[in-house]
Amino acid sequence: MIIIDGSLGEGGGQIFRTSLTLAMCLGKTIRIENIRAGRKKPGLLRQHLTCLKAAKEICDADVEGEELGSQAVVFKPGKIKAGKYHFAVGTAGSSTLIFQTILMPLLLADDQSEVILEGGTHNSMAPTFDFVSKSFLPVLKSVGCDIDVALEHYGFYPAGGGKWQAVIKPIASIKPLLLLERGELLGESATAMSSKIPKHVGERELRQITKLCGWSVDQLQQELVGSVGPGNVVSIVVATKNVTALFENFGEKNVSAEKVANKAVDAFQRFDEAQVPVCEYLADQLILPMALGRGGVFRTLEPSLHLRTNIDVIKQVMNVDIQLSRLNDLVWEVVVNKSV
Amino acid sequence: MKTIAFSILGTTLDHRGKGNNRWERWRPTVSLCQHDDLIIDRLELLFDNHSQGLAKQVTEDIRLVSPETEVIHNSVNFKSPWDFESVYSELLDFSRAYKFQPKDEEYLVHITTGTHVAQICWYLLTEALYIPAKLVQTSPTKTGKKDTPSQQLGNYQIIDLDLSKYDQIASRFKKEHQEGASFLKNGISTRNKAFNQMIDQLEQVSIRSNEPILITGPTGAGKSQLAQKIYELRKQRAKTKGKFVAVNCAVLRGENTMSTLFGHKKGAFTGAISDRPGLLMEADKGLLFLDEIGELGLDEQAMLLRAVEDKRFMPFGSDHEASSDFQLIAGTNKDLTTQAQQGKFREDLLARIDLWTYQLPSLKERIEDLEPNIDYELERYSNKSGYLVRFNKAAREKYLRFSQSPQANWSANFRDLNASITRMGTLAEGGRITIEVVEEEILRLLKKWQNSSENKNSTSQTLERLLSKSDCDKLDLYDQIKLAGIIEVCQNSQSMAEASRKLFSVSRQTKTSSNDSHRIKQLLGKYGLSFKDIKAQ
Repeated sequence: MIIIDGSLGEGGGQIFRTSLTLAMCLGKTIRIENIRAGRKKPGLLRQHLTCLKAAKEICDADVEGEELGSQAVVFKPGKIKAGKYHFAVGTAGSSTLIFQTILMPLLLADDQSEVILEGGTHNSMAPTFDFVSKSFLPVLKSVGCDIDVALEHYGFYPAGGGKWQAVIKPIASIKPLLLLERGELLGESATAMSSKIPKHVGERELRQITKLCGWSVDQLQQELVGSVGPGNVVSIVVATKNVTALFENFGEKNVSAEKVANKAVDAFQRFDEAQVPVCEYLADQLILPMALGRGGVFRTLEPSLHLRTNIDVIKQVMNVDIQLSRLNDLVWEVVVNKSV
Repeated sequence: MKTIAFSILGTTLDHRGKGNNRWERWRPTVSLCQHDDLIIDRLELLFDNHSQGLAKQVTEDIRLVSPETEVIHNSVNFKSPWDFESVYSELLDFSRAYKFQPKDEEYLVHITTGTHVAQICWYLLTEALYIPAKLVQTSPTKTGKKDTPSQQLGNYQIIDLDLSKYDQIASRFKKEHQEGASFLKNGISTRNKAFNQMIDQLEQVSIRSNEPILITGPTGAGKSQLAQKIYELRKQRAKTKGKFVAVNCAVLRGENTMSTLFGHKKGAFTGAISDRPGLLMEADKGLLFLDEIGELGLDEQAMLLRAVEDKRFMPFGSDHEASSDFQLIAGTNKDLTTQAQQGKFREDLLARIDLWTYQLPSLKERIEDLEPNIDYELERYSNKSGYLVRFNKAAREKYLRFSQSPQANWSANFRDLNASITRMGTLAEGGRITIEVVEEEILRLLKKWQNSSENKNSTSQTLERLLSKSDCDKLDLYDQIKLAGIIEVCQNSQSMAEASRKLFSVSRQTKTSSNDSHRIKQLLGKYGLSFKDIKAQ
């Protein structure tokens, strides 16, 4: 049995979810200890428990420690079953994190799966549905994965109520990933998406972006969507030939629309300056498919704690060589070598 | 284990309109299902018919934020949500009809919503275990905490009414209990386990019960003192407001008894020149200690029974019943059961006062407590006399050795000890009790105990235990004394040979050979007795 210390690195829910994914894909029993140790509410919270239950369901796992507040979980996976699934996460927690947990196992199953996900679709501490559909999944498509997603309802914190569907087709072998350059710039745009929020909020966010980036009106759009509760996200999309990057920020009470826009622009400008293809958030999501596939290489910004933690867990569970190297002040290269 | 919460729909707090603002406001029932470290598997929502619309909205919102939660609608109709009686009985009916399955389910009662009356009723029902639940209290997040992304989420706190689960509270209870028990023992750290256990329980009973207490035990074992202490403890803990009234029933004689206890009207009898309230009346809302209750006449017993049961009695010569609410402590050194069988004590009264019975052991029965009691008596004497009295080391050892020996019979128990220490304290020169004072005191005690056993006409008592009364009456007093003496020696001897050595110690020195055991056998045989019979006694 492989033992993972859940308090290392990022030390939160991510290390737990990555461990589950690896256990399922590799068919290895793992024990995760010290789950979220040192956090204000240590152990499994509701969204982690929902992830665990989803993982258990798709592979008929034997699980010990399946309860709220549990700080140690033993996960003994069975055979992964393709099929139709429906997972709903409480407290308007992120449904994309559940998707992230079960995506790789379902890709490696022997048949197509249809998954309906409910809960939050746009959460500030997780990849949004737009990030998944516009940035992450196109990269997976480039290495051979066939995944279709469709949004039915938006879900913002705290009301939730989001709903979307993913159709995952099985894949025999994921191709090596090669993302060293962005390729030709196809377009830069900004979107202010909001639901049940005064219209001027989105307008001000976009005006601020124009002011900072000097963009023209046709690069801006305001999107008014429907959802149960209120919500607002501003996003900057950079589409290039090889990859699409997204920089998002959430509108908050007591934070001015201009400040919300500033933060998104900051992230965008940092990325633009480095001219790398892979942004910080995409990096930590790509590492798993590479490790479970046939490896590859990409260039990105300085590795985040999330990326480093994912690499550590992967190395503990499987035999793979992952190298992080700094090419210059701003650019890093990540190499995943499966030939060992 | 599933978690089930009961919540009254809050017509004010849960009602935040249909607009989007409701997601920014704290709604107790919705927020209960929104915590990331608490899953409510089932929510039993209680509301009346007027609130259907709100219930529907709250249910729908809970479904969004908590897909794990099943919401069950329960219709209740409080005539007025502010009327204690109707709310309590409605919630009681609900609780009694509810099928609790505490093996598989854990219950929480949400006390944040509903009127104050409803909250009080929830509390009472939970505390009385009609609902096997813990309480859950929710509250909004403190304003000004800008960092919290979840202003509307608020906090929750689970309160277990089983107070023993709270270490701090439990240790306070324990401390109070120990203080109470120690108080009943006059602060003496007694060592006798049985006695300590008895006092531990008595402490709880004294504080929690208003029922009669019966204290039995030999004279001087401390019955009156204990009754007084129980009263003081009750007074400390605000369980009694009235006075402590003590009377020894043995001193109540004849016609006066009724009037002393139950009072009389002016002119009830010759000499009744004014109203007299009587002791029962005086003990109203307080504590009445009737020592030697076995000495009370049957008429008075009947009256007392009614006073204990109904708090009512008839003063002598009065046309109207008087009432007095007192707690009764009865003391006796007699076996009331035997007395009841002989018709000397009313069985119904005995049954009524025999609820909490505590038998105080004699001093000899808890001889290990003698030493701490000596210290206590010394302290008490010192306080009274105003100067410190202490034993010399050798004197203390001598007194202790004697007082724990079989010679020391402590027939009047702690009364003897108290008198003994008082005498030695008085004779102690400069506050030091010397070995001479102790030796003198030992002689004094031995003499006292010898006298008291003679006074009791022990000869006929000894004989009557072995022979029938009619047989005894056929004997000359001379023979009675002789036989009683022989019996006493035999009782204190291990064997017939040992008894004979004691009885014939002078004559056997002049004899060449002797079979004194045989002599005893013959002597006893004359009266149809054997050494075995005597030892079996």
